[in-house]
Order: sequence, then C-alpha cells, then structure tokens
Amino acid sequence: MINFLAKKKAARRCRRGELPDTVCGYINAFSGHSDLQFPVGDVRYVVFDTETTGFDTSRDLVISIGAVAINALHIDVQDSFEVLIRRDNVGEKDAVTTHGLLCKDLDEGGEEQESLDAFINYVSTGVLVAQHADFDVAMINRMLHRYYGFELFNHVIDTASLAKRLEKGPYFNLAHKSGEYRLDMLLDRYNIRMHDRHTAAGDAFLTARLFQMLLAKAEHAGIRTLKELLLT
Amino acid sequence: MPSNTIVERVAADLTKYPPFDQLDAAVLQDLAQSVSLSYHEEGEVIFAKGDSLKQHAFMVMKGAVRLFDTIDGKEVLVDLCDEGDVFGVRAVFAQHDYVLAAQVAEESLLFELPVDKIKHLLETDARVSLFFAGAFARSVEEIEHTLSEAFDVGQKRYSEQSYNNFLQNETLEVKPVTSVITCPPDISIQEAAKIMSDSHIGSIIVVSSENHPLGIITDTDLTRKVVAQPGSVKDQAVGTIMSTPVYTISDGKTIADMVLLMVKTKLRHFCITEDGSSGSPITGIISEHDIIMSEGNNPAVIMKAIMQATDQDQLKEQRDNAESLLQVYIGQEVATHFISNIITEINDAIITRAIDFSLQELEAEGTFKRPDIPFCWLSLGSEGRKEQLLRTDQDNAILYAEPPANQAEAVHDFYLALGRKVTGILQHCGFVVCPAEIMASNPEWCQPMSAWKGYFSKWIVTPEPKAVMHSTIFFDFRPIYGESKLAAELKQEIFSLIAQNRGFLGFFAKNALQNPPPLGFFRNFLVEKSRNHANEFDIKARAMMPLSDAARVLSYELKVPEYFSTVERFKRLGSLISGMKDLCSEAAAGYEFLMRLRAVNGLVNNSSGRYIKPETLNKIERQTLRNVFSTIDKVQKTLNLRFQLDYFRD
Repeated sequence: MINFLAKKKAARRCRRGELPDTVCGYINAFSGHSDLQFPVGDVRYVVFDTETTGFDTSRDLVISIGAVAINALHIDVQDSFEVLIRRDNVGEKDAVTTHGLLCKDLDEGGEEQESLDAFINYVSTGVLVAQHADFDVAMINRMLHRYYGFELFNHVIDTASLAKRLEKGPYFNLAHKSGEYRLDMLLDRYNIRMHDRHTAAGDAFLTARLFQMLLAKAEHAGIRTLKELLLT
Repeated sequence: MPSNTIVERVAADLTKYPPFDQLDAAVLQDLAQSVSLSYHEEGEVIFAKGDSLKQHAFMVMKGAVRLFDTIDGKEVLVDLCDEGDVFGVRAVFAQHDYVLAAQVAEESLLFELPVDKIKHLLETDARVSLFFAGAFARSVEEIEHTLSEAFDVGQKRYSEQSYNNFLQNETLEVKPVTSVITCPPDISIQEAAKIMSDSHIGSIIVVSSENHPLGIITDTDLTRKVVAQPGSVKDQAVGTIMSTPVYTISDGKTIADMVLLMVKTKLRHFCITEDGSSGSPITGIISEHDIIMSEGNNPAVIMKAIMQATDQDQLKEQRDNAESLLQVYIGQEVATHFISNIITEINDAIITRAIDFSLQELEAEGTFKRPDIPFCWLSLGSEGRKEQLLRTDQDNAILYAEPPANQAEAVHDFYLALGRKVTGILQHCGFVVCPAEIMASNPEWCQPMSAWKGYFSKWIVTPEPKAVMHSTIFFDFRPIYGESKLAAELKQEIFSLIAQNRGFLGFFAKNALQNPPPLGFFRNFLVEKSRNHANEFDIKARAMMPLSDAARVLSYELKVPEYFSTVERFKRLGSLISGMKDLCSEAAAGYEFLMRLRAVNGLVNNSSGRYIKPETLNKIERQTLRNVFSTIDKVQKTLNLRFQLDYFRD
C-alpha cells in the first residue's frame, strides 16, 4: 500500500514536471503494472550487485553496479549492465582494493547521477534479485532519495533468503548459521565454479547462475507465480 | 551495452572448446554477447524428436545431454554430449523438425547460440563451417561425406606446402645461419619491417649495444601486433612489440636435439650465442625451416645415405633418422599419405640394401652356392600395404621360382640362409621379429611357387575361420626385391582360385566383421569418468583392422591387381563399385586419420602406438574418431549386405 501511494506521488511529480524525463520513464513504466499473478517463467528478473566503499548504508558510496537479466528463465548476456561511478574523494581505502577496482578505473567512471539513471532505466519494472539484497537495495535507494526523493518500486528477491527457504522451509530462522548462506558457500554448494569474485558484474553473473538453479528448485516446491515466489 | 565483464566471462568459456578456440577476439565477443544460458535438471527434455527447430544450437558447459532416436518405440542412444560438445545444430542447416531427441543426463548448464550468429560465422570462417558440418553429419544420417571433405581441405593446405619445401631445398648444410640480421631496440617498427623485406628474411633479432639478443620480431608479430592494431603504431620502437626473451643455445646442437627442443618449446627460432646464454653476443640463428631442411631430415639425403651404406650400422642410423623425420612431419601436420609414401620408400630401400649385403656375405662365405633360380622378397601385412610409419614387427617371406626336383633342397637351403641373414639385419635396424615367426627365416615361409600356390589354395578352397584370420597378412604381400613377375603370377593364381570358390569371399568378409566399431566408446568412457579407470583403446584391432580387412576383401573380389595400401584400395574401390564412391573416400580419409593418430601416440609414448588412452585425445580427435567409427559401421553394413553374411552364421 505504501509502495502504491509512493508510485502515485512520484507519477504526479512527473506530470508536474518536477522530475527529469530520464527518471520519469522508470516511474511511468509502473503505472498499471501488475505482475504478481505472472507465472515465474514469464517474469524478467534483473540480478544485480553493487560494489561499495564499505558496509555502512548511511555513509558509504556505490562505486560500481553490475547486472544481468533472466528472461524466460535464460540468463540473457545481451541484456546485461555494468557501470563504474567516478569518485573523486575515494582514497586508497581497503574496499577499493578488495573489489579489484583501481582508483584509475574509478576516475574513468561515469557521474553518479547519470549512472543511477542508466541503471533504473535498464532495470525498469524487472524484479530485482541480489545476494543479501537488503544492502544493495538500500545503497541504490539512498542515491535515489538524495537526487529524486523516491525509492525503488521494484519487487526484490534475496537469493540468500530464497535458498534458505527452499532448503529449510519458509519458517527457518536465517539468523542461525547465516554463514552457510554467504555467496561463496552457496556457490560451492550448488557447484558453480567461481571466477571474477569481487567485481559487481562478475558477482551478479554468479548470483544469476545461482538464482537460475533456485528457480528450478522452486518449481519442485510448487511455486508457480511471482506472488508465490515473493511470498507476499 | 551489455556488461563487458560478463561478455568476457562467457567468451572465455566458449574459447575453451572448438571451434570457438579458433575465432578472432572481435568475432568471439560478438558471439558471446548473443549467448543465453539455461539450466536444466536431470531428465528434462530439451527437444523431442519431431519438435520444430529452435532458433539456437546448444553447447554443453556443464553436465551431459543424451541424444536419442526412437525406433519402434525403443530408445536408441545416438550420442552423449559432455562439456564442450555442441548439439542441436540441425537448427542451423535444416528446415524441418528435429530427428533426434535431447534429454538431460546429468544436471546441465547449456549455452544457447543463436542460429543467425552461427550462420554468419559459417559464411565467414571455413574452420567453423567444417566443424559444424561435421557435427551436423554426426547427428543426421543423410549427410555422410563431411569427413572426407574435411580431410580434403586439411590436406590440400598441408601437402602443397610440404612438397614445395622438398623440391626447393636440396641444401645439405645444416649449419646455423651466421650472417644474422639484427637491429637495436629503439628503431621504429617501420624501419625494422623495411630491413626484413629488403633482406628477404622472415625475422629479425633485436640486440643490445653489446650484441646480446634481447628479442625477436617475426612476420607473425608484424601481422598480429602491428597490422591488426587500429591506428598508427608503426612509428613505435621495435622494442615494444618484440617477442622476448629469445631462446638461446650454444653451437653444436644435433638435429635430434633441435627437433626435441622445437617440440618442447613450441618455438620456431633459436639464437646461438657465444656461451649459449642471452648474456653473450649472438653468433647465429637456427629457424624451424633450417631444422626441417637439415641434412639428416631430408628424405632425399636419407635415401642417398641408405644407397651408399656399406654396413648394417649405417642402415640402422638412417632408419633412426627417418624416425626423427617422421616426428617433424607429424609435428608439421604434413599429409599422412605423403609421410607414409616416404617412410615406405625408406623401408623398402633398407630391405633392398639388407638383401644386397646378405647376398654379398653369402657369396663371400661360400657355404651356399647361389642358384640361378630367381626369387622375390615379399613384405607382408602393414609393410606390404605401405602403411608402416613406426617400426613394428617384421612380416616377410621369400617366394622363388620352381627349381628342378634334384636342386630343390639346395635352393631352399640357400634362400633360407638368405632369409635368416636379411631378417637379422632388419632386426638390427629396429624391426623386431614377428612373434608368430611369419618371416623369411622360417622354412615354412621361404618356399617355391608351387608351395605358395598350395598354401593359398588351402586357405581359399577349404576356408576355416581361424585359418582365414591368420592368413590375412599374406593376402597383403608386395614384392620388394627380385623377380616381381613371380609375385604377379601368384596374385593371378589367387584371383582364379577365388573365382572358382566364391564361398571363400564370404568367409573373408565375415572375418572383416569380427570387430564391430565401438560406437558406444565415448559413452562408456564418460560413464566411467568418476571411477578413475584408465581404459586403453586398441586402435589397431578396433578401428584400423575393420577398415583394412574390408578393403582387402573388396579388392580381391574385384581383382585389383596392384599392391595397394588400404587408402589406395578404398580410392580404387570407390571408382569400381557404383554407389560407394562417397563411403570409400570417407573410409580412406578415416584410415589416414587413424594412421596418424597411431603414429602420434606411438611417438609420444615411445611405443607401437597401438594402445590409446581416450582421455589423452583432444576434442577434435575425439569427434573425428567418433565419425570414423560411424564410417566403419557403414562399411561393415555394406559388406554384410554385399556378401549376405547373415546366411553365414556359424
């Protein structure tokens, strides 16, 4: 309901010309959009990952976003996305090196706002999928909020929660043994060979492979529609 | 714009397997961009027989997919695809439905490759089109000539090159080139290219001010690193594109050393420096070309040395040289028929000389007086068929004209003594004795015409399966030395014996069918991959013999008088039997492939090459082998039909 009101409000601001066209394309795509009854296989999923300067959602910054879509249950390489965001004030902070991004790369990245616009237009009404999605969504939302005063309208699926639900049932407390649901552990368990860990696009691609396998598992669990998959 | 990281990841996966390992980077990127990945659980059906074609072909990236046909309600497994295998290519070539079904045998990740992209690749890249044509033929019965076409193309490329090399190069010197053209590292690429073209050389050595080698620039570097680059890099210093470091050696390396070094390092140029290290001045250069053309490795020179040899040690030395020549040829991918012709010439020359030496010795010893009854030395089995690349067992015999009864014993004694001397020399040269003692040193196989006719008459008139099996190598006799008229007479006698005893051909053909091709070979191999079970595959018995046996039967049926190899037999048969042209050329190409595979395996393992570990084969070899098995199957079905062997069950 809150989401519905927020969409209305944002659409109204678009009509009044209070938001730029680049963003309104994203907002208007949601008008009349209702996909909850869609079969799981008919939905466009956007599996994404962000790399950030740290893990504090109120202070740290996004330095890159990578994503790949799953269309008709196929990972669609053509429908993929990757941006680096220019950060002038990022020093030699640890996160920068663990992500494998050099300062030089970041200097060549795009402006933050431009990159954000490109990302939301790429995502459009797709269902967002990420490993520990709360964090990545919060990072994107903070940018959206700062520039435009609204947040993502998309449905979100967290692969860690979905894996846990499919393996242990819907009422298992994820807080227990959460280590088993780290991306490395999941990839290992699902026999997905790791490569490119710690670049946003590389992680997104691996997460997409994982999600694809989870969807097959979900089918066995009797999950047919997006609504059932989202457990809403 | 799709994500670069992901496209590169997919490209890296594609490039692990043929034919995508051959693509240019840009083409590969473009293909990778269009890939989509699907995940399938065990038992899932990808497509069923009769389904309309999809818009993409599939490549297995992980897992396994079984392709099967359904005949009379029963599933018949046609193929099992594992990592790197492409299937469903019918979508690229045909208009109608799938003729096979594809089902996931093991949880799989598939790459789906759009048909239009593949079609575009087929038009632009001959290697890719050959590959897909092969994959297509494998899954569809109606197109059958792919293999032979593929081989024709391959051979044209290699043989032209090698023939030319021989004709042009009669230089006997093996010395390194000492007038090395060098340049300093700071001159421009353009200047270096000019020096190379002015002095007609394919490479230039970049040296320091003290004349120490720093790097090398070759034609390939110029095309790959300069021409292929966008923008102008010609003004850059040669130091930026040279291959470095250069492999340095000291002077005085033997050809054998160099061949080994070339095989090991996969390099084509070696620098000779004063002390052999890169920290001393350059004195010369040896290129691949020099090595191939060098004294000991030139077939003409080997032949000459054999003809001028004065003792058996020299013969042995030349046969060893022939082996290193073989190694170079195999490495150079010289056409197999060309290699086998040369090795046969050399072997024949060695036998001829061995006989010369033996006759001289017998004369000098004076124990036996040489009769004026002519004889003919026969090579049998694979040597008789001119197919011996690596040295294997000796199989030979002596046939001599009918002596007057009162001289019979003396003549036999003489030729037996000759046979013993010759086989002894051949053994010294590395041809081991035949365990079944089918050699001219065995009194049984050193006989006058009447006895030989008697042997063949016994095999042909009263055939008996076991005897037929053991006699096949005799049917491949070929005259090497002496009166070849005797061999021709024997052959005519065999033809007329066969004409009077048609039943023999049935036995002969049945013998050719005792080894059905292992169509399920790779399937079993795949199933056993987890068991750490190293099965060795007998390429001679399971793949080569079925083909050489079939060619022999048909050649005798059709009275082919020449002393042919299996490949030559198939080529002739193709023109003699209507409707078998394609199958015969396919079989000929397949047999050449097997000869080569065996020789490579033998060289690597220092053995006869007969037993192959399937896991050592690369993807292309495996695919080709699979195609050869299906050719063998077709050849055997044809034989079965032609001789109506189903009535022959024992």
